[in-house]
Parts: sequence; structure tokens; C-alpha cells
Amino acid sequence: MRDVAIIGVGMIPFGRRDQDTLVDMLAYASLKALDDAKLGEKAVDAVYVGNMGGGILQHQTAIASALVDRLSLLPAAADTVENGPASGGSAMKNGVLAVASGYYDAVLVAGGEKMREVTGWRATDFVATLTHPEVEYHYGITLPGMAGMFTRLYMETYGLTREMLVAIAIKNQAMGALNPYAHVEMNITKEGILDSPHSVVNNPTVADPLHLYDACPVSDGAAAVLLCPLDQAKKLTEHVPVVVAGFGQATDTHTLQEREDPTDLKSVTLASQQAYKRAGIEPKDIDVAELHDAFTILEVAESEHVGFFEKGEGGKAALAGETKLGGKIPINVSGGLKARGHPVGATGVAQIVDITWQLRHELPKGRQVENATYGLTVNFGGFGNNVLSFIMKRA
Amino acid sequence: MSEIKITGYKCTECGRVHYPQHEQCLSCKGRDFEPLAPEGDATLLAYTQIFNLPWGFDERFLIIGVGMFENGIKAMGQIKADSLDGIATGMKLKPSWEPVRVQYGEPVLGLKYEPV
Repeated sequence: MRDVAIIGVGMIPFGRRDQDTLVDMLAYASLKALDDAKLGEKAVDAVYVGNMGGGILQHQTAIASALVDRLSLLPAAADTVENGPASGGSAMKNGVLAVASGYYDAVLVAGGEKMREVTGWRATDFVATLTHPEVEYHYGITLPGMAGMFTRLYMETYGLTREMLVAIAIKNQAMGALNPYAHVEMNITKEGILDSPHSVVNNPTVADPLHLYDACPVSDGAAAVLLCPLDQAKKLTEHVPVVVAGFGQATDTHTLQEREDPTDLKSVTLASQQAYKRAGIEPKDIDVAELHDAFTILEVAESEHVGFFEKGEGGKAALAGETKLGGKIPINVSGGLKARGHPVGATGVAQIVDITWQLRHELPKGRQVENATYGLTVNFGGFGNNVLSFIMKRA
Repeated sequence: MSEIKITGYKCTECGRVHYPQHEQCLSCKGRDFEPLAPEGDATLLAYTQIFNLPWGFDERFLIIGVGMFENGIKAMGQIKADSLDGIATGMKLKPSWEPVRVQYGEPVLGLKYEPV
């Protein structure tokens, strides 16, 4: 297997992008990645696109074919990868395997989603289609509802508090306020969303015990990366190459109710353990992480299941500031899904882009993790039933 | 009480109870299962109150939970309550089979739980 390098990255600002189609957004992010890589006349061999909802929300399928045509990358191979909210991570995995195997030398991986052109009612229903159709979906369960049940169990089992979750919301929105690509660029305060009498109005319950500011926004957006073998990267790019040091992927039961311990995110543990093993490192070696905080509870749980903290300690660590920039392990310095936004098919790729910027040491002071060498991502599909984790290294 | 029309599947090899159906046992990969009808009342394992409902629901909110029947079947259902006051993990629930939503003008039947 060959070492795989990320030689180009691109992202467009997430948010509400009424003026752009899904393929517009994917094309803009891809062009940025191609320009960043300075690929020259070298052809792109293959394109993998992560997208969950084109067929449902835009009534458009075969998105990768459309993107290749739009970018005039013909006759590059093109595949759309649908894996729920982990579609971006799965597209990335396919790209990495294609280069590592020696089959392709230059692979574009893009992820994108356009969710804001439908009502919140429809968007919530769209995401809920990943639940079990007979035993979950028709009861009206939503992903926030799943997260709400999970949060209550965490509170009852491990003493997690709303104050701990609020600390994560404040941290991630503060970082999002510094990120020009973030959907939500707005600071919030503990008084505004927890302590004051107005917090009931400012921060209403979405899925008890989770509130509005525990949840990510519904976003439009796209991100892209260009991959090639490490030995060719050194000749092609002016950037410090960032290497995909390892990845892992694991699945768990479709329904939360069939897990022996519903607070145990086995798929996160297994995916990250595979990634650590492949990279030859341990959790303590990670300098920066982008975790899938679609809800604040997921940042807590994932920070424990990837091995940064003991089970039940992630919330306390967040409250103590250990996951802030400058803390023991900075998490979601981009603002995470909570503030950067969550265009579902884009998220797994956007996480790779953010970690690449960190490992190139290209971000401004106040967002850059000093001397970052290793970065980790978790892209969480379903409610933990299909998870990918990547570890990148500054070469 | 109306019949609860769900079927659990007990692995004849190791005894693990499944719901929904699997072709192989989650524990031992066995392929033979004994069909199980839910028995008795259920115990509430997890719950939430959802205010941002998906397309297709006109209610102001839904209270949804997972209950475990006396023979080990765990199943999601809607909880009949006006608020979360008095709802707690571990409480007993009386199951029934009733309309849980309307799709294409037709009622969809499913599991409802009434707190005991």
C-alpha cells in the first residue's frame, strides 16, 4: 500500500446558499481544492462525491457524474457515495483506498449537501429517513430525539449536566465566530442560554433534555480534497504534505434499543482504534480533533470513545476547558458541526479540510493549534451505526 | 386491549431476543429463531419529548420512548402523556396498538405506551 497525501483542499462558506445548486457548491469547493493542489496538466483519475440527500431534496441523482461534467474532468471515473451523515467520510475512504492501492494517482474527493431549500419540517424528516423504517421512523422519532434519549441516559448514568453541554456550545460557537467558513458566526453566553429567565425563550427545548443551542444548524455547503501518493506529492505541491496516517470504520446496530449498553458507542471506539493502529500512535499523540458534534452530547461521548478521556469524564473535561484551544486536547477548533454547520454529505470532508489546515499550520493565531502534528476526525453516521475516523499527519 | 402486532425473534441457539428481525443472531450468528409476541407490561428504558417534529406530524410535540416487555422485547413507541411530569426511566408502561401517524390519508398503527 502506498502512503496517501492530501495535496489540495477547498471549502465554501457554509450556511444558507439560495443562489447555488448542489452541483454549483460541489464545483466551487472542488475548484478550490484543484487550485490549492496546483495539479497543472496532471489529470484527475477519479472523483468520489459524498452526498446523502440529492435524490430526496433536489430530485437529482448521479451527482458525481454531474460534477465531473461540470468541472470538465472527463473521462475521470466518478462515483457518488451515500452513507447518511457519514457520506463525506465514506467518499474520503474510497479515495484513500484508490490511491493507496496504486490504482489511481490523482483522486478528487468532494462532499456536499443542500438542505435549506426545504422547510425545517422536511429537512428533519429527510434526516430521519436513516432510522429504521418499521420500528422507529413511523413513530416520529428524529435525530435530535435519538440524541435526547441518549443524553438522558448519559445524565442518569454518568452525572452529565446541562452546564457541561452548555460549555461545549459556548466553546464551539466562539470558535465558529472566528471561522469565515462557519454557518453560525455568533458568540453566545451561559447567561443567555442557561442562567437567565430569558434562556427559556432564547434556548427552547428541542428534544428533552437537549435545547436549541445543543444542536447543529441545518446547512448548505461543500468541501473537497485532492489526494495523490506521497512520493508524487513532494514534487507537486508547495504545501507541507499532509498524510492520511490511518483510518477506521465500524458499524453498530441500526436501532439504539438493540445495543447491550445504549450509552456505549462501540463503532466510534472501533473505528478510532483501527485508525490509531494503522497510524501507529495512541490517543495521547493527537494534537487536534474534529469530532461529529451534531449535538453537544456527541462531542462529550466521542471524546471519551476515541480515548481522550475516561468514560463519564468528557463533560467534566469540557467544563474545565480541557478541550479548548490551548487545552489538553483542542476539539472542534473550526466550530465543529455546531457552528461551522452540518450539510450532512459535506461534513466528513470538511473535517479533513479543517485538520489539513491545522497540520499545515496555515490558520491565524487564535485558531491554530501550535505545532500540530497529528489530527483526528470522527464522522458519525446514523446514530452511531456507521462511523469513520481518520488520522492525518504533517509529513 | 388490542393485539400488539409486533414480533420479536429469540435465537434458539443462545436465547438473545431481537427486535427488529435479523437473519443471523447478533450474538452467536445463529439462524434459527423462535417468534415471540410481546408479553405483559413494559418497563421504560429511555425517553424524550420532541418539539421539532418531522413532516407528517401536526402535533405540538411527541413523547417517545423505548420500553422493554417482560419477555425481553425492546421496542420504541409513543408515550401517552401531556408532559414529562411523572415520566421516569424504570416506570411501568401499559402497551396498546393504535394509530401513531397518518400517511397518505391513512392511519398507521403502532405501539403506544400509557404510563401506569
